[in-house]
Amino acid sequence: MSQFPDSSPPVFAERNYLNTPATGLKSWLTTLDHKRIGVMFLITTLIFFAVGGLFAMLIRIELLTPGPTIMDAMSYNRMFTLHGVVMIFLFMIPAIPSGFGNFLLPIMVGAKDVAFPRLNLLSFYVYLLGALIALGGMIYGGADTGWTFYTPYSTTTTTKVVPILLGAFILGFSSILTGLNFIVTVHTLRAPGITWNKLPLFVWSIYGTSVIQILATPVLGMTLLLVAIEHAFGWGIFDPARGGDPVLFQHFFWFYSHPAVYIMILPAMAVISEVVCAFSRKNIFGYKAVAYSSLGIAFVGFFTWGHHLFTSGQSAFNAGVFGVLSMFVGIFTAIKVFNWVATMYKGSISFKTPFVYFIGFLFFLFFGGMTGVALATVSLDIHWQDTYFVVAHFHFIMVGSTIMAFLAALHYWWPKITGRMYNERWGLVGATLVVSGFVFTFLPQFLLGNEGMPRRYFNYPERFQALNVASTAGASVLGIGFLVILVYILVSLKYGPVAGPNPWGSRGYEWLTPSPPPLENFDELPAFERGPHEYHDLPGVEAVAPGAGSSHA
Amino acid sequence: MSDHTAAPATTAHTHAGRYLVVWAALTALTALTWGLSTIHIPGFGGVAVALAIATVKGTLVALFFMHLWDQPGPNRLVLITSLVFVALLVTLPLLDNATRFPLANPPDAETAPQRIRDAILNDAPPPAHP
Repeated sequence: MSQFPDSSPPVFAERNYLNTPATGLKSWLTTLDHKRIGVMFLITTLIFFAVGGLFAMLIRIELLTPGPTIMDAMSYNRMFTLHGVVMIFLFMIPAIPSGFGNFLLPIMVGAKDVAFPRLNLLSFYVYLLGALIALGGMIYGGADTGWTFYTPYSTTTTTKVVPILLGAFILGFSSILTGLNFIVTVHTLRAPGITWNKLPLFVWSIYGTSVIQILATPVLGMTLLLVAIEHAFGWGIFDPARGGDPVLFQHFFWFYSHPAVYIMILPAMAVISEVVCAFSRKNIFGYKAVAYSSLGIAFVGFFTWGHHLFTSGQSAFNAGVFGVLSMFVGIFTAIKVFNWVATMYKGSISFKTPFVYFIGFLFFLFFGGMTGVALATVSLDIHWQDTYFVVAHFHFIMVGSTIMAFLAALHYWWPKITGRMYNERWGLVGATLVVSGFVFTFLPQFLLGNEGMPRRYFNYPERFQALNVASTAGASVLGIGFLVILVYILVSLKYGPVAGPNPWGSRGYEWLTPSPPPLENFDELPAFERGPHEYHDLPGVEAVAPGAGSSHA
Repeated sequence: MSDHTAAPATTAHTHAGRYLVVWAALTALTALTWGLSTIHIPGFGGVAVALAIATVKGTLVALFFMHLWDQPGPNRLVLITSLVFVALLVTLPLLDNATRFPLANPPDAETAPQRIRDAILNDAPPPAHP
């Protein structure tokens, strides 16, 4: 197969993973094909994203006015707990690694599948089981603790915490199994020619994510289990009234949950590293720096959890140590940002939809990151702790960046996954709505937090109403943006033009195979002579997205 | 579907003799641990020696019975990284616990629990803070 299939005519691959070995529901539910499992993860996580988004809209509508608007205080407490649990455990943690990672990683390393295909399918069903148990708990009565389950409240509340804890505990196993599969796949199934230094940057970041998943998730499982035991049997572990230590819970919880931020953001960075090269028509600037900084973030991310405990009774000495250590993450993140920007420099940039999401990602990462550095300073954090400033910060850095990258990935790899192109014009409309909606939702929350509005409160003084209305208006724009995307993406499944193997003219290894890929990924294994981000010898940079009026400014 | 072309071969079958030697070493170290337990070593020395022997034994098991000796660098790195993170999880919360109260409480706080306990045992009201 040619290393440069850019000029191939747009042909829909006749025999592909969508129709091989069969097309029935049973063949999907029992499949061992990593691509189908990836697609099933994508569909499921998107459904949960819609559910979490619905909760978010209800929260924003409630906050339109001080006092009750559409629900009472207890319903509000349950609503933000559901929103957090669904968005974090059911969407953001699994979406990119389990969805796109499953689909792409084996193709990117030239393998036919992941190392343990059965374990891969088990991972999906464990995820479903955990999700159903957690959702069952929510429907059965819900919890009012917030997604952080802080003790001693979570061990004494009368709401249904245990099923949700159990669900999150089970979800952790899915995360571990996926991470384990990816690590073994990268170590053992790389095709001849794909050395460590020729691995796509997407694979490097997913690898770093997998390390975190394996190392940190068991700690969360153990911690949630201890909370469930204390809640169910009254053992004194974290409750000071029973001789426990509530700060110890926070240590354990954030030992996982802060690195979990990197479980969400590293895959996002993985996507961005691919997108920036493809749409700048430039070799990645500083391949090794970008690759190793993923591992650096994964490593240093474990040393920072204590900045969540600055006002929780942690010792002043530890607060100082964690404050300093937290700054180090900024170094590795900055390495990536500088390299992405340098990659764009003098590139032949094409403002296609994935690239617009990349720009949005860069903005949210930078703005969210800088406010994060400010929050890691103990004296400032004491002012902002538990205010909307923190809510806005983590929605920018964690949610904004991740969703931008997720949408960039969805649009960039949509032709590979489905074999069809979406409508580029509507893609740009959707991207504009989502990016601007996100900014207008959370920018007012920075101001609200700075003025002292605490998070997780049902009520607020009237002077905060104008900014809350602005935030809800932004959320409405955001919601409309997502609906637009949903419509044109679904329409493209039937009416979208055939994409061909490489509509973007990308150098990534996944574009060397037909779209949609065949069952075992490659009809004939390529030689993988070039790196996956090498554009320097590309003659006449010209993208060939059908119907997109392609040109590179 | 997973029987794909492998990257570098990582498994090297070892001879049974190696396992016998390691087993003998582990047995000898166990005997040494028992032997040292019969000798009085003052202070922290006894614990330090026992921990050192246990570390050597654990290392032997990881290297030979868990095949890390035959693995390439990255696979060994995975184990070492895991150990570092376990140490991290234990050390920093302990550091918090060790530094939390002396820095947060007044100078007489360390003796307060004893004074309160004494007061309860003596059936007297707890002492007021000076």
